[in-house]
Amino acid sequence: MASNHSTAEDQRPVRHNSEGPKKHIIAFIFSILLTLVAFAAVAAGEINKSFIYIIIMGCAMLQVFVQMAFWMHMKDRGHLFATVGILMGVFIAFTCIIMAEYWVWW
Amino acid sequence: MSTHSHAEGHLPHEPEKATLEGRNKVLGFWLFLGGETVLFGTLFSAFLALRHQVLDGPQPSELFKLSLVAAATAILLTSSLTSVFAIQALHNHNVKALINWLIVTVVLGLGFLGLEIYEFYHYVHEGHGFTTSAFSSSFYTLVGFHGAHVAFGIFWISSIIGQLMKKGLTVVTAPKVYVAGMYWHFIDVVWVFIFTVVYLMGKVV
Amino acid sequence: MAQGHAVKRYSGLMDWLTTVDHKKIGILYLIAGGFFFLVGGLEALLIRIQLWKPLNDFVSADTYNELITMHGTTMIFLAAMPMLFALMNAVVPLQIGARDVAFPFVNALGFWTFFFGAVLLNVSWFTSTGAPAAGWTAYAPLSGPAFSTGHGMDYYVLGLQIAGIGTLIGGINFLVTIINMRAPGMTFMRMPLFTWTSFITSALILFAFPALAVGLAALMFDRVFDANFFDPNNGGNAVLWEHIFWIFGHPEVYILILPAFGVISEVISTFSRKRLFGYSSMVFATILIGFLGFMVWAHHMFTTGLGPVANALFSIATMLIAVPTGIKIFNWIFTMWGGSIKFTSANLYAVGFIPTFVMGGVTGVMLAAAPADFQYHDTYFVVAHFHYVIVGGLILGIFSGLHYWWPKMFGRILNETLGKWTFWIFYIGFHLTFFIQHFLGLLGMPRRIWTYLDGLGFNEMNLISTIGAIMMGIGTIMFILNVVITNAKPQNAADDPWEDGRTLEWTIPSPPPEYNFKQTPLVRGYDAYWKEKMDGHKGMTPAEPIGSIHMPSPSILPFTMSLGLFITGFGLMYSRDWTFITEHIGFYVAGLGLLITFGSMFLRSVYDDHGFHIEPEELEDKGVKA
Repeated sequence: MASNHSTAEDQRPVRHNSEGPKKHIIAFIFSILLTLVAFAAVAAGEINKSFIYIIIMGCAMLQVFVQMAFWMHMKDRGHLFATVGILMGVFIAFTCIIMAEYWVWW
Repeated sequence: MSTHSHAEGHLPHEPEKATLEGRNKVLGFWLFLGGETVLFGTLFSAFLALRHQVLDGPQPSELFKLSLVAAATAILLTSSLTSVFAIQALHNHNVKALINWLIVTVVLGLGFLGLEIYEFYHYVHEGHGFTTSAFSSSFYTLVGFHGAHVAFGIFWISSIIGQLMKKGLTVVTAPKVYVAGMYWHFIDVVWVFIFTVVYLMGKVV
Repeated sequence: MAQGHAVKRYSGLMDWLTTVDHKKIGILYLIAGGFFFLVGGLEALLIRIQLWKPLNDFVSADTYNELITMHGTTMIFLAAMPMLFALMNAVVPLQIGARDVAFPFVNALGFWTFFFGAVLLNVSWFTSTGAPAAGWTAYAPLSGPAFSTGHGMDYYVLGLQIAGIGTLIGGINFLVTIINMRAPGMTFMRMPLFTWTSFITSALILFAFPALAVGLAALMFDRVFDANFFDPNNGGNAVLWEHIFWIFGHPEVYILILPAFGVISEVISTFSRKRLFGYSSMVFATILIGFLGFMVWAHHMFTTGLGPVANALFSIATMLIAVPTGIKIFNWIFTMWGGSIKFTSANLYAVGFIPTFVMGGVTGVMLAAAPADFQYHDTYFVVAHFHYVIVGGLILGIFSGLHYWWPKMFGRILNETLGKWTFWIFYIGFHLTFFIQHFLGLLGMPRRIWTYLDGLGFNEMNLISTIGAIMMGIGTIMFILNVVITNAKPQNAADDPWEDGRTLEWTIPSPPPEYNFKQTPLVRGYDAYWKEKMDGHKGMTPAEPIGSIHMPSPSILPFTMSLGLFITGFGLMYSRDWTFITEHIGFYVAGLGLLITFGSMFLRSVYDDHGFHIEPEELEDKGVKA
């Protein structure tokens, strides 16, 4: 609903910057598209298994990157420690994944 | 600085960062989300390690219904967008729009949770119980931890909606809204990996 | 908002239960941590008495397993960590020139959650099925429901889970405090080293404890809800537990030792009357140790069968840590070189730390060599190694820090003569206890055994080790005696009792007023106070005029939130056993506990804490008294 009135809202004195809904809707459409690609890749079947894995993991990472950058404002200024914190968390989470995939056996 | 010195309309553009308390809260919550990333990373690693240990239970490829997962994904993704709109309304100091967008977010969250409960109920009837196998235990733990986060988020955002109605938008309530918004996005981000790693990869035979 | 005074001020016990003042929370951490240090120490003495001669039957084998499990768990989680948090709470906000921590309420919550977790764990001693007995590492499947049939391990998983939540939120509080609350001019590269190491330790807590939370939750699900994470019969995997535990467990080791490094840096620099040698390399080394600490966990698992590639990788990564640690050792020595050194009790502990820690580090590098580790693994060599780094490193660091900051925390200097005697008795006792254990290990004495046969050549060394342990016990009692004696003396410590204080905590009264700094200081360089002294100033230049100071109100909610978790833990544990009134009564009890916790959280969220103000006139009054 807000999207139709963005020009009118720009006139309001309390608005200081150009944060409009447009780029968020674009990010949303992009996320939906990436999700569809991932689901389609799996639904299609009959393709090489590791190829599918790469496609769907690529889609997931791209989507998360877009959402964190735009929706969580991580691309904005003043997010140094936020970024360091998340990246460190991602790094250790990734370490755990490596552990589970390579160093757990029966 | 007193919280009451800001009459509504005289709030700064980003009221969540107007006070030191607000800035502390936002930064602390970012760091908490870093820790949550490790929490879910460890849960994912346990799931990945154990996902082939199906024993006598149903295989993931026969169990999972992609249509249900697609619906849940669409709902949660949309709720993430509506929470972005809520934060925009916060920055525009539009309390009414803010409350409305938060209510939409909570309703969508309830929809997601309802689907998940239905899904779990369905799985248990298919013979995929919590104690069936290592695969089932790790599946329910990973997806259940996420579901518990959604449930907590619903209660939390509801409580914030109540506070906004009662206290209005101030430099005290604004950081709460902002931080809850971050939490909601994080839940959505985790779900992106859950539907990819658990459901889509489970469907690939 | 002068009416802000309407806020309730409690006194007596209620004051301690509701306090959100970081200095009082520091004292609470010290009391709780000190108490559990005595409990863990008593367990250690019982272990050593059991082992003083071959085929001893002082305690039963089951009790012995409980003792070693609880000794390790108590010392690491319930003694060492809270005592570090005590120093961090007492000192870090003062060192960065802050009036308070970032989240005073969360800080109190962190303490109470730790406390109730610790109490829950130790309640197990008084139950019919006894304390946990699967080792502090709780390796599956021994810790699973098949082999640990009583409730001991339930107490372990739930007690540690609750205590871990407290530690995690405490860590976040310190991260935000250090990032956001520094005084004007206190840039990152001007922060005292204890603040730096507390910062890195808090970061390690943030990223390591969630892994433990998942591991403990999974083990709890296995035990209470029949899940199959670590049960090989149902597709579970025991190696997975080892990985998860050590992905947390190795960073935990650095969580413990880094603040001790910080203490040593402060003490040696102060009592050498010299700037810390190589400050920036110290900071860099701290960060590097923290980062590498996450990539070496599998060196605890060399004999598990990871394969040559993984073993080689983790072996090299582990040895790499010796480089930044070596940088630190040399920096401390160079700080002392050419300084006018005063051997106070604090400095004795700090100087005693250096060779002891080097020995622990050297055996660490020996253990890091994977092929050699197959020989050392699970012998007393390992026991000797980690006691050299934890007691010889961490505990000496804590004692040093306690002697150094005691006047700041309590306004009284600990008795120096008694302090030096304590040091020598504890120090000699420590080396007697553990040096000999290297050789016991090389001779093949396995760790965690209840007793040993005669004629294996273990007898004399075990006897010596036990004598050393008794000396450490005497040393600890002497320290407590010192505390009691000092407590009877008047509270008359000067602002800068060591006269050579270099950092901001020495610019304010001992003990500091609740608002710490009447005026936020302006920091003009590293070693802020020392710089002012060298420029001929008596104190810091204030960064602001005297004004009204905003303080957070005390609250009982941290206590009730943690109490709720404690009740939940009990309910979950006995969900199968308790059948009175109705079946599954345990789950209702657990639900009630969660209701208390979340209800308290709700109250906290809904009722805004406006705090109260201390007005300039009051500041002047207090200034005269101090």
